[in-house]
Amino acid sequence: MSEHSNGEQGSDRPGPYAGVRVLELAEGISGPFAGRWLAALGADVVKVERTTGDPSRAFGPWPDDLPDDETSGLFLYLNGDKRSVTLNLETSDGREILRELAESAEIVIESFDPGYLAERGLDYKELSKDNSALVMISITPFGQTGPNANLPATELTLYAASGQMWLTGHPARTPLKNGGSQPSYQAGLNAFAAISSAYYGAVMHEQGSYIDLSMQEAYAAMAEAFHNRASQLGIETQRGGNFLNALWGIYELSDGYGGICALPRNYPGFARAVGLPELQDERFSDPGNRLVNNDELMAIMYGWFSGQTREGLMELGIEHRVPFGFVATFEDLANSEHLQQRNFFAQREDERAGQLTYPGRLWLSNEHEWKMGAAPTLGQHNVEIIHGELGYEREDLVRLRELDAI
Amino acid sequence: MFDPGRPLTGVRVADLTMIWAGPYAAKILADQGAEVIKIESPRAWDNIRTLIPPPVALGERWWNTNFYLHEYSRNKKSLTLDLRAEEGKRIFAKLLPHCDVVIENYRTDVMDNLGLTYDWLREQKEDIIVVGMAGFGKTGPEKDAVGYGPIIEMMSGMTSTSGYGDDGVPYKSGISYGDPIAGICAAAAVATALIQRKRTGKGQYIDLAQREVMSTLLGEFYMDWAMNQRLPEHMGTGHDWMSPHNVYPCAGDDEWIAICVRTDGEWEGLKRAMGSPEWGERPEFSDQILRWEHRVELDELVGAWTAATTKTEVFAALHAERVPSSPVWKMLEVIREPHLKARGFYEPLRHPEVGIWSVHGWLWRSDGAGPCILAPAPEFGQHNDELLGGLLGISAEERARLEAEGVIANRPEGVPLASEMPPTPSML
Repeated sequence: MSEHSNGEQGSDRPGPYAGVRVLELAEGISGPFAGRWLAALGADVVKVERTTGDPSRAFGPWPDDLPDDETSGLFLYLNGDKRSVTLNLETSDGREILRELAESAEIVIESFDPGYLAERGLDYKELSKDNSALVMISITPFGQTGPNANLPATELTLYAASGQMWLTGHPARTPLKNGGSQPSYQAGLNAFAAISSAYYGAVMHEQGSYIDLSMQEAYAAMAEAFHNRASQLGIETQRGGNFLNALWGIYELSDGYGGICALPRNYPGFARAVGLPELQDERFSDPGNRLVNNDELMAIMYGWFSGQTREGLMELGIEHRVPFGFVATFEDLANSEHLQQRNFFAQREDERAGQLTYPGRLWLSNEHEWKMGAAPTLGQHNVEIIHGELGYEREDLVRLRELDAI
Repeated sequence: MFDPGRPLTGVRVADLTMIWAGPYAAKILADQGAEVIKIESPRAWDNIRTLIPPPVALGERWWNTNFYLHEYSRNKKSLTLDLRAEEGKRIFAKLLPHCDVVIENYRTDVMDNLGLTYDWLREQKEDIIVVGMAGFGKTGPEKDAVGYGPIIEMMSGMTSTSGYGDDGVPYKSGISYGDPIAGICAAAAVATALIQRKRTGKGQYIDLAQREVMSTLLGEFYMDWAMNQRLPEHMGTGHDWMSPHNVYPCAGDDEWIAICVRTDGEWEGLKRAMGSPEWGERPEFSDQILRWEHRVELDELVGAWTAATTKTEVFAALHAERVPSSPVWKMLEVIREPHLKARGFYEPLRHPEVGIWSVHGWLWRSDGAGPCILAPAPEFGQHNDELLGGLLGISAEERARLEAEGVIANRPEGVPLASEMPPTPSML
């Protein structure tokens, strides 16, 4: 692999999206997450913020728990390498500037309520009038159409609406939510894939497209075996908490939690790695027997795992090629030698927020790097973009500010 | 004519992926219009074909009919080829010049062990795009670690964020969440590499570690560690400033509804939906901060209301008041959920032996796109003749010899017919 990039920053190789203008009319997590990777791959992402700023600026974490619109950890993570311009789309000047920006855009990402942009003459039909190769994606909780299209949503209600929540949590307790903001993040990742695919089409055919992404649908599409088992065989699935069976679950270790995910073909290696003679018993001799005697196997595994350490389990897994793992914390991850060597992290001294370490890329490529730069302050590029690039006079900026348009 | 739903039309993918994460990626590429050739060996087939034996009634050749296979491999073509055999590798070398992309999610050392190194692949097709999706990547001290979705989830930090909060136990998600996430990202990586190839004329090698992709969905937790050396607390289904914000029991067995109130306006809506109970006017519930401070009591009161009626009725009342809420849909329910149904999210999949059932369609919907599902998952080796004969010009006699020698096949070796299978408990 020596010929591959080690992901170091500072190379002058242009990214796959170099020279591509992206207009980000999206707030929160999903749209900005997609825009973040486009920016990291070289796109000029112009983030259009309402004059009070993307609401994610008002979400923590903050350094030393001191709330500040310019140091929100969530905002800094999601908006690196973008340019910020403030526009009030309730004003005609704000809308006009947006239209001018869209003329030079190849990609637009928006997350307004369905109908919001159309009511202001800023929907795909309008924006692509003289820009037929434009790719535009709308990211909303339930999509642009259907009876729930305008229903307000939260991470929790989307988790429930997608069917994911039903599958998660202990069978004797309430269904459980994953930590963090997974409905938003996974939608953002889907949006990034959708944009990449559609933009390739636009490059090849000089024809754009308009994409309707529903967060509920993107998440429901991850129900894997379970919705198919329901639709093909009519079988419901019960949530199983941390266990599918004794060889697929999370156990308590001597210094935390860890586990095993073994398919039948992994069993011989697993039994070797664990080394207990009873794992060779007739009652565990094939996948069927192991399921029939699952409780006995699980009792053995509880005992064995309780004597293991997290690091020890990992080493055993690597040595025997067995799917062991442990429940890693963010401290473990930030200090991971493996992730450091693979240059996974953006590590930089932020002017306002101090020393930061956070995921800085998605994959490694031998043909491009990832930018891992700072996020813009609110309206940081108003002058550069509205005056410098769109040609408005400086007096116009004063008037626009006074009219509350920027 | 350009089909906006299938922007990857004209792209051909040699798909060596197995089980979950890789096939999810290839599924997206196929949905997006790429010609995805799923390549399996007669002796090392995609395990998903044989993980869950279906009822005998669905057909004898159950490795072609089970739902698990169709979830991942609709819209793909099937070519069998033993890549361990010299003959198989020679045919693969003939196929590669016709391909744009090679994608695999083997253990980190397998491609090299097979002699299918990036250099070798590039010798067959100079601008080939290669995506490797090993769980922990192709380099670094943990590169030889292996893992399926839940291991990826644990090792990414994801699992550490989830739990009820009262017992200290971290919980995994109900699916193998690491797999589809890596799959979506790999599809994005392929499209990005195609864009770059169009500009530079060069292919590339992409080393995509599933664990790293999962970790990018957790940015704020990394930031909290960097900024405050703080690790996340388990929040259960609660929230750090909203209340009510929980799942509440409804009439029936294991029936639930999620309800969240973000603003005073939504609180008023919730009260109206509940029939304006007297307790709703108590001073300790009069603003957001007070409601959050009294959230345990508030949850009990809201739960007493929801428990008396069905989740669909509760939802209808809350929907009318525009309060964020959703029934916790079960699998048999989500496939018939009215909103998804109105949007045509689930599409019929027609199989010649099994009949019709529904699978999810577009992950995202391009204006003007037709149906997503054009074909069920291919039978094992279904496109051997089309691809080996039609595309590569290998004669029928030659193909018969290859089959006799076990280089190609139309049945995974050693797998009994459904009626010959000993009864096996399902792992799900």
